Amino acid sequence: VSECEQLTGRPVYPGVAEGEALVSLPSIPGWGGLDAETGQVIDPGNPIHECSITGKVLVLGGGKGSTGWATLFQKARVLGNGPAAMLFPTMDSRSAAAAVVSKVPVVADIDVDLFAIIRTGDWVKVDGTNGVVTLLSQHE
Amino acid sequence: VDYRVSLTPEELVMLKGECGAAKQKAIEVIVRFADALGAESLCEITKAQIFVGAHHYLDVLDSDDIDEVISALYLTSDEVVSLDQVSVFTQSDATPLDPQQWREMDVPEDRFKKDCRYRDRLYGSGMAAGDSCASYLTGFVPLMGEHYVSTESHALLFMNSLWGACTNAGSIETSICAAFCGRTPYWGLHIKENRRGTHLVTVKTNPKSVHDWDLLGYAIGEELPANAIPVIVGTFERPRVEHLKSMFASMATSGTAELCHIVGMTPEAPTLEQAFAGQTPEAQITIDDAQIRAVRRTVSASGCDKLYFVSLGCPHYTLEQIQQVAEWLNGKKVHEDVVLRVWTAPGLKNSADRSGFTAMIEAAGGQLLTSTCPLVSETVPQVPAMAFDSMKQARYVGLGTAAKVFCGSVQECLESAVVGIWKGTDT
Repeated sequence: VSECEQLTGRPVYPGVAEGEALVSLPSIPGWGGLDAETGQVIDPGNPIHECSITGKVLVLGGGKGSTGWATLFQKARVLGNGPAAMLFPTMDSRSAAAAVVSKVPVVADIDVDLFAIIRTGDWVKVDGTNGVVTLLSQHE
Repeated sequence: VDYRVSLTPEELVMLKGECGAAKQKAIEVIVRFADALGAESLCEITKAQIFVGAHHYLDVLDSDDIDEVISALYLTSDEVVSLDQVSVFTQSDATPLDPQQWREMDVPEDRFKKDCRYRDRLYGSGMAAGDSCASYLTGFVPLMGEHYVSTESHALLFMNSLWGACTNAGSIETSICAAFCGRTPYWGLHIKENRRGTHLVTVKTNPKSVHDWDLLGYAIGEELPANAIPVIVGTFERPRVEHLKSMFASMATSGTAELCHIVGMTPEAPTLEQAFAGQTPEAQITIDDAQIRAVRRTVSASGCDKLYFVSLGCPHYTLEQIQQVAEWLNGKKVHEDVVLRVWTAPGLKNSADRSGFTAMIEAAGGQLLTSTCPLVSETVPQVPAMAFDSMKQARYVGLGTAAKVFCGSVQECLESAVVGIWKGTDT
């Protein structure tokens, strides 16, 4: 992967933001999987267990479990602990709802395997208005 | 508002604010939701089941102004507006507390009073007090092809699957907004072509008890990728409503399923071929006894600890389940150190009262409570060990506690409640 690689997808929620990627193909549970007070993922066994989503470009496999899934992100946003942007491989109704309540740039339906290209710690820019994801630098 | 979805003249009028500020905010959310999904249009819904009341998550906004909280957290609006009338028949999902027996469930009085204020506001907006996750047990019955919304993940999986009704999971916020504007994105499972099965699930086990079906649902949910529509086949005995509501509750806990066909049982799957609309499954999954045992070990603690809390009824119990518990407890006593709570919908509690079931449960030292559950009410006691007859309850409660959380059949839970020690079998 060359520096500044661009990926294109479908614009889901408008706006532009960048940040460090936090990547997990397994999603987090829909009820209690995120501590909104700290922004930390609480899901023992998840690759991003105890990582903070705050200010990150969150790359997840999709929504999961309870219809309270988006509410986790709503709470995090209200407390200022939400992600900077989000990326999803495909769109499902829980992820779309999370995008709407998070009010941060989101791109989905990206034609390549996000989880093979973006790794936790990479610096990523998300343009949710035009559906463009730019990999600015890779974590060593 | 910039948007891509195409709107009808009525929807445009609402979006312009000509039907009031609350409906305007509500349809704005639905329009953004539609664009996020990539929907081409909206569809009208006939009914809504919504998660409202003074739920603990609303405390995130430190405000006594009910309009401010509702605007921010229900309508996701920074501008404060007042709720007006819902646009379709709307009933409450599980609420934060039992409005009659809140003291018995150790809820502080200020919490009860706060919930009353929220309830009154929603009743004033035309909402009915369904007060149950299992809305379908209380007359909330969307039929084949009917568009509706629900904030309850297992209930929508149940109604989509068993009746061919149409909704997507979405979220608490998008469902509340749909209730107020009467619209939801015409996307996903609202469209017939998207409802064919994607994954063939061959069940090689023979689930009999409600707990067996609960475990099966959890195992299936774990195996499925996001957005899959499972098609279940197997030589198992025909399940009943109690089996399926538990299977759907656990399937929607470990996974994302919003529609599940069961060949020869659900209306869109009279045959295997029809379930897949003539197409080949994307993948095949087999569930065997070893997986079922592994799933129970994943969620339930092991050992034979002293128990302090036993909770039955997630999803809310049917009248038949309440009767079974009452008859089992008749003449027995729950151990003095154990709090035993059984959960159902208020309408069913009324029937249980008149049938004598409530008195039998109470005589044994148990409680029959309504409208909520330990998870939603956030009243899980701070004790070293507890037991649930629900994978959903055990899994989610387990995430937020250092206590030992056991999960087993209603029989295992009741026997344990009486002796005061977890008597479940280790798998």
